[in-house]
Amino acid sequence: MNEPDGPLLEFHGIPMTGSAAGAFELLVMRHETVVVVGDENSGVDSLAEFALGLEAPAAGSAAVFGTNLQPLPRREQLAFRRRLGYLPAGDGLLNNLSLRDNVRLPLRFGSNFKTDEIEGRVDVILAMLRLNRVAQERPAQANEEQRRRAALGRALAFDPELVLLEQPFVGLTDRASAELLEIARGGEIGAGGRRTVFVTGQGIPMLLRNRVERVVHLADSRHLLTRP
Amino acid sequence: MSAPIAVVGRSAARRLTRTGGLARFTFEAFRAIFSLPGAGRQVAGRLLLNQLRFTAVEAVGLIALLSGIFSFLVISMAVRELGRVGAYDLIGRLIVIIIVRQLGPILTALAVVGRSGTAITAELATNTVMREVRALEGMGIDPNHYLVLPRVLGCIISVTILTVLFDAVALLAGFLAAGSEGMSGGRYIGSVLASLNSTDVWVTLGKGALSGLVIGIWSSYHGLAVRRGPTEIPQAVIRSTVGAIVMIFVVSALFVAVQ
Repeated sequence: MNEPDGPLLEFHGIPMTGSAAGAFELLVMRHETVVVVGDENSGVDSLAEFALGLEAPAAGSAAVFGTNLQPLPRREQLAFRRRLGYLPAGDGLLNNLSLRDNVRLPLRFGSNFKTDEIEGRVDVILAMLRLNRVAQERPAQANEEQRRRAALGRALAFDPELVLLEQPFVGLTDRASAELLEIARGGEIGAGGRRTVFVTGQGIPMLLRNRVERVVHLADSRHLLTRP
Repeated sequence: MSAPIAVVGRSAARRLTRTGGLARFTFEAFRAIFSLPGAGRQVAGRLLLNQLRFTAVEAVGLIALLSGIFSFLVISMAVRELGRVGAYDLIGRLIVIIIVRQLGPILTALAVVGRSGTAITAELATNTVMREVRALEGMGIDPNHYLVLPRVLGCIISVTILTVLFDAVALLAGFLAAGSEGMSGGRYIGSVLASLNSTDVWVTLGKGALSGLVIGIWSSYHGLAVRRGPTEIPQAVIRSTVGAIVMIFVVSALFVAVQ
C-alpha cells in the first residue's frame, strides 16, 4: 500500500514502441491531473491498461495506490479495479443497455447499496453530466458527446479517488472537453477534495493545456514536462 | 517432405490449443458460479431470465412445429409399415428409442444452435470488438459473471425444457398420426407407456442438459475469442456453430456408448 503522500499511480521502466522515449517513467501524485500525449504507435493507449492490470507491459511495471495489479489473483484484480474509475477509448458502453443502465451497472454489480440508494446516486450523476433527457436512450441513439458523458458517469459511479481516461476528448469541442475534465476532477472547490486524473491520448485541446498540472509528451522524451 | 508434416503439426497444435482453451473456459465458467459476488447475483439472475425468455420461451413455437411435423410424418409411416406386418405393438418402443431418446434431444439442440447459439456468438463477438468486454473488466466486473454464466445456464435449462417439450409434442403428434392410420388411441397410448421407463426420461434430460452446456460454452467461447475486428465475427459464428453441431452428435454417441 502506498504512503499517504506517495504517488497514486506510477510507471517504471515500461518500453514505449515507436517513439524515442525509451523506458517510460512517471509518478502521478494525489490530486494531480496528468495528461500523457503520444502518437498512435507510441503505446500511449496501453498505459491505463497496464495500470489496471488488463495488459502486462513487455518490461517494467505499473502500480496503482502502490500495488501492481498484474500479479494479483483475478478476483483481487477485479475488486481493486472497483476502487478506480476507468473510461476506455471508444467509451466501451454496453450497447444493449440504456445510458442510465450503463451508469447503474457497476453500482448494481459491485456494491451492496440498496436499490433506492443506487437510483439516487445515478440520478445525481446523470444530472451532473446533463444526461437526464437522454438517459433512457441506447448508446447507438445518443451522439458522441452524450456517450462520452455516460461513460464518464459510469467511471465516476463509485466516486473513485483516481480516474483513468483513455482518449476522452476525441471528437468533442474544447468546451465539452473542459467540462468533462472538470467533472472528472470533481470540481475546483478545495484542492483537497479533487480526484487524481490520468488522461492518455493523441492530443489535448488547447483550452485544457493550462488547466492540467502536467502534459507529458511521449514522442520527444519530454516525460516530465511541467505546465506547458 | 517436412512441409506437409509441418502443416499437419501446426493444424494439430492449433486444435490442441483450442481444445485446451475450451477446457479452461468451461472450468472458468463453472467457477464463476461460486465466485459471483452477492451484489451481482440479482443482475445475473435477471440476465438469466432474459436468456431463458430468448432461448426457451421464444423458441416454443418453433420446437412444437418442428416436433409436430417431423413426428407426425415419421410415426404415421412407421404405423403404416408396422401395421402391414401386424407389429403395431412395436410402435411404442420405436417412438421411445428413435424420437424420445435420440432424435428429440438432437433436433432440439440443433434448433437452439441455429437460433440462439449463433446469436450468442455474434453478440459476444460484437461486445468484444466494441471493447465492451474490456470496459467490463476495467470497472471490476468479471465477464464470466456478466456475459458467460447467464448464457451458459440459460442454454442448459432451455435445451432441457425444450427437449421435454419436443418429446411431449412428438407423442401427441404420434397419437394423431396413429389415429389417421387406423390404430386405436388406446392401443397407441398403451404401447408408448409400456415402452417408456424412467431411464428414457433421465437419458433425455441428461442429453438436453449436456447439449445445452455444449451450445452455451461453444457459443460464448468463440464469441469472446474474436480479436482482430468485425470481419472475424462471421468466422466466429461459423466456428461455434460447426463445433457445437459436431459436439451435439458426440454427446449423443457418448450416451449410446455408456447405456
